[in-house]
Amino acid sequence: MIKENNIKFIFLSLSLFIIILIFFFPFFWIITSSFKSPEEIIATTTTIIPRSFTFEHYNKILFNSDFFIYLKNSLIVSFSSMIISIILSVSAAYGLHKLKFYGNKFVEYSLLVTYAFPGVILLVPIYLLFAKVNLLNSYFALIMVNVLFATPFAVWMLKAFFKLIPNEIEEAAYIDGASRYIVISRIILPLAAPGIASVSIFCFIISWTEYLFASILINSDELKTLPVGLSAIVGQYQIDWGFLLSGAVLASLPVIILFIFIGKYFVSGLTEGAVK
Amino acid sequence: MISVKKNNIEGWLFVSPLVIWISLIILVPIYIAFELSLFNVKIIGTSGKFVGIDNYIKLFGKSKFLNALLNSFYWIIGNALCQTFFAFTIALTINYKFPGKKIMANWIILSFIIPTVVVVVIWKLMLSSSSGVINSVLIDIGLLDEATGFFSSPNKAFISLVLINSWRWSPFLALIILSGLNSINREMYDASKVDGANFVQQFLFITFPNLKSVLFVLGLVGTLLSFNIFDIIWLITKGGPSSATTTLPLLIYETAFTKFRISQAATLSIITSFLLLLFSIIFIKYMAPKQDD
Repeated sequence: MIKENNIKFIFLSLSLFIIILIFFFPFFWIITSSFKSPEEIIATTTTIIPRSFTFEHYNKILFNSDFFIYLKNSLIVSFSSMIISIILSVSAAYGLHKLKFYGNKFVEYSLLVTYAFPGVILLVPIYLLFAKVNLLNSYFALIMVNVLFATPFAVWMLKAFFKLIPNEIEEAAYIDGASRYIVISRIILPLAAPGIASVSIFCFIISWTEYLFASILINSDELKTLPVGLSAIVGQYQIDWGFLLSGAVLASLPVIILFIFIGKYFVSGLTEGAVK
Repeated sequence: MISVKKNNIEGWLFVSPLVIWISLIILVPIYIAFELSLFNVKIIGTSGKFVGIDNYIKLFGKSKFLNALLNSFYWIIGNALCQTFFAFTIALTINYKFPGKKIMANWIILSFIIPTVVVVVIWKLMLSSSSGVINSVLIDIGLLDEATGFFSSPNKAFISLVLINSWRWSPFLALIILSGLNSINREMYDASKVDGANFVQQFLFITFPNLKSVLFVLGLVGTLLSFNIFDIIWLITKGGPSSATTTLPLLIYETAFTKFRISQAATLSIITSFLLLLFSIIFIKYMAPKQDD
């Protein structure tokens, strides 16, 4: 007994150490590097603890670049995509898992199979379609696409939460004469709230990180999103690392701030709600 | 339990906004792509002459297509292996009680919530051949004699990209696996312990079978999503060196937006959709969990 516990302890500590090293150290590394002097970043001798400390890269990106324009665009696109995705996926999940209709299994699987038509395959025809209906260079073009990528998985995530709500509660409400609207707004939505919170952050992340379509469907500088703006620097022959690193840190900040507030719902929603 | 009556009209009413949105943005483009694949259109916006199934026939003779198909295949296998390993390690570790478990479970997903471009920046810096921290650590502990370029040879580039992509996705998959682990009745482990089962047996006969429905969705969606990866590869290697990391998505992008052969790109898209659809149907038919409710 004791022996097995010892082995477990060693295994646990070892894998914790490796996980922290692999999945957290890189963040420590880019954050500290973004405050290093340009010479120290590209020096051949690596310094784990920074020797220099400077705000010059942040100064440059905040006051001498289009950062705020990109930030605004990313925020608008991601929030709109998130809200539309929630409305559509909550409604669909309710229909699929609470009402149950003829063909619901087919719809459920078809939704997942939409991932069989991934981004690049749709890229050329969507570009042509949007060109025809004059949607290129618009927020709406990106929102249409983000919703497509976020919702199928969102519906699947919501399934577990809807299944947790006992049908008896709903039925009792109907017997008392409640309308469908009352049942949804007073019973279903509040009970599914943790699920809706975790789905919304998922949709936000999908939109926030989207690069491919944003790089093709938008070509005016005024409407570019953060990932596209940032990638323009990655592609340069002589990379200004300090500039790039501070940009990377700043581009991650909004999702991290959002995650500080509703991250725990996302994680507990993912880990506790599903498959029960 | 009282069962809720099947409610056809209302059910469809709630599902239809999403179904319409998705069909509109998938079916119309697929139709456009199919039409394009029958013509010989080069630059976007111009027209070409009708060539029937010529584009399809030509494609199968092209070594570029076969190369990309093979790369995509290796990409899916490589990512599946790596991500399964990482994700299970993370999930099984976090499933134990230890100080800081909550914080760890919340923030392990950091690599998934940041933009892919940031993932690219992180690993380009860490793996840089001139000043990267990985190179200098590997040299310090004696694993390398001199700095190596992680993206300079075909094999190294491919493996590095698989690892970077797995780094991004594994924590997310781990949380989904964790949800499956949480749903397993604790008593089953206690009972098996009384019967003298060890760690490995518990994993094989309790943990794994109970994860079926989670693993089904991960297997299906995970494969399709990792097939779809474009930005990480494009922003790091652009498909090189010598096309070693050109998967089908990169080939389609290149054909359409750097070589300006729209009809060829559309043909590639149609064939790829067909292959993925075939995969999905077979996967659902044979792997779908038997009962669901």
